[in-house]
Amino acid sequence: MTSSNFVMPGDRVSSIEDLAKTKRVILGPGLRRLDDKVVASKAGPLRHKEPNTFWVDNYQRRYVPARGDLVLGIVRAKAGDVYRVDIGSADVATISYLAFEAATKKNRPDLNPGDMIYARVLNANADIEPELVCVNSNGKRGKLGVLQDGFFFKCSLNLGRMLLRENCPALGALNEELPYEIAVGVNGRIWVKAHTPRDTLGLVNAILSLENAGYAEIEKVCGNLTEVMQT
Amino acid sequence: MFLNSNLFEPGKSKLERNFVQVLTKQNNRLDGRSADDFRDVELTFGAEWGIVALTVGQTRVLAEVTCEIDAPTSARPNEGALFLNVDIDGVSFLDEVQTTHDQRVLALNSLLERTFRSSRCLDLESLCIASEQHVWYVRVNVKVLNHDGNLYDACTTAALAALMHFRRPDVTYNDKQIRTYSEKERELVPMLFLHYPVSVTYCVYKSSSKPVVDPTLLEENAADSVIVLSFNSYQELCTLNAGGSAPTTAHIIMQCARNASRRCKSMVQFIRKALALDTERRQAKQPVGLLELMRSTMPKITYNRLMNEESDVPVTNNEPVSNMATVATPQHQEPQNMIKEQRKQNKQEPVTPMDDSTWLPSTDEVKDKDNPKLKIKETLPQVKETRPKGSNNNRGKGKGGKNQKPKRTESDSEEETKPVI
Repeated sequence: MTSSNFVMPGDRVSSIEDLAKTKRVILGPGLRRLDDKVVASKAGPLRHKEPNTFWVDNYQRRYVPARGDLVLGIVRAKAGDVYRVDIGSADVATISYLAFEAATKKNRPDLNPGDMIYARVLNANADIEPELVCVNSNGKRGKLGVLQDGFFFKCSLNLGRMLLRENCPALGALNEELPYEIAVGVNGRIWVKAHTPRDTLGLVNAILSLENAGYAEIEKVCGNLTEVMQT
Repeated sequence: MFLNSNLFEPGKSKLERNFVQVLTKQNNRLDGRSADDFRDVELTFGAEWGIVALTVGQTRVLAEVTCEIDAPTSARPNEGALFLNVDIDGVSFLDEVQTTHDQRVLALNSLLERTFRSSRCLDLESLCIASEQHVWYVRVNVKVLNHDGNLYDACTTAALAALMHFRRPDVTYNDKQIRTYSEKERELVPMLFLHYPVSVTYCVYKSSSKPVVDPTLLEENAADSVIVLSFNSYQELCTLNAGGSAPTTAHIIMQCARNASRRCKSMVQFIRKALALDTERRQAKQPVGLLELMRSTMPKITYNRLMNEESDVPVTNNEPVSNMATVATPQHQEPQNMIKEQRKQNKQEPVTPMDDSTWLPSTDEVKDKDNPKLKIKETLPQVKETRPKGSNNNRGKGKGGKNQKPKRTESDSEEETKPVI
């Protein structure tokens, strides 16, 4: 990305306007339409996905829930027939007892305050608390559910998104070093687990070292990951 | 205690707690330090007297000292007073209730209270202008700007540095008239100290018998118990605060005390050197003040830099009581910083290995003398022990009184000081 693709709030993005004259354009986060103008509402590099999707990849640490997001949450409390889960958003999210695989009214999942879960956002609305689920539409848990052991840390939302990107070289590069498990939440939390705590710690440092790498430099930084993990 | 916050804080999930426990068991720490490694401490003095910003890792506090003239209390007509206050409004992850009613604010305030007030580190009689009429009231306000663990040490060190940096205007009292002199008329007067206390914090985990010093926020939240010890530069115990659920034996506490007393001593030396450096910069009209935090035109005043320069030149160890230290001031524009850094690797402070117990009195002796006292330390959630210098003990401290051990004899304090000197 060149520097000309960097937008500030209030900037008019005429390149999109030109494209919009010929075909439909999808404006993602950080871009707004004001009548026939396209204006950026956040600061950051302008991203484009073929054929017609645009968004601003701004640096952000506060998570705003959106339907379908995979998030890491910490159980805060049991409340009636829901658990309250902290996902780093403004409001505490809820997850129903029944939103786990093979859960019934009698067979409740055993979650306690302080447990960490990997869940999907089912509902995200400005007026009500976000709701999570740990099953897919077929009632299977897939990779969701309670995470045992390992370690988790917080990072910027961008880092989470970058790791989740298709063909992100980082996870593969780490895999060459050691076997590990990872759960990336788009709410800026990443859970990792390797065979030993020391390895886990190395992983944490390696992933955090990617924090300031842009999309362009990531390949280069991935080459140095071995060094980072040694320290 | 657990999950009392509305927002998420590091170290409050089971995952993190378990992970930290396992790591400590293997003698690892998250930031790669060893169990008895401290983070570097950086001091920045304000342009005004008595303002100090202190940074320990990511933890940052700002201490400010002010003074005013007021009437003394009738109980102590010829003494000024020292007031200390910590506020943690600046910590963004805490909400309003937590910043005012949280246990950690209370713990911090009481720690400062005991470290500075109950141990009578300031000579309060020197703050008297006219008996029963006018005395100085000195206030120390510590603001926490960022919390990454070990607020205890950060606050005590910042408060001490601010008090040592502070100067009050000179006054005279004639014909029932107070006259305050401005800085131009008469030199400002520094505080008079009886001793210089600072604290050292240890975290104890159930999984490991080795306490971890200078914890980060994550380590502190995951810890089973936290031990805070205040020592003065004479290596006398001023405060002991041991709480939590980890089985803390007398041995562990004594080991902590031994290392802590040494650390406190060198910390006070560091503050002295930093002050001397600050004076030097002021006299040379070099830039001082909190702007340096951003500008960094001058070399930073950090513990590692100053104390390692010192270790190259053997300093006469003559416990200077005066505020202006007699220690040789290090040249701040050191070009061979790199060399110093490397030398630092070799010149570690002598730290007694934790498993070294030769200095402890024999076990029988421990049973005879120390046990009643140390038992209390193990069982009570918060034990207070103050050894004031000078004649006075802690008065008017009803709050701490009930936790205080029932009897404090001279032999007790001897026991405390003997092994650590």
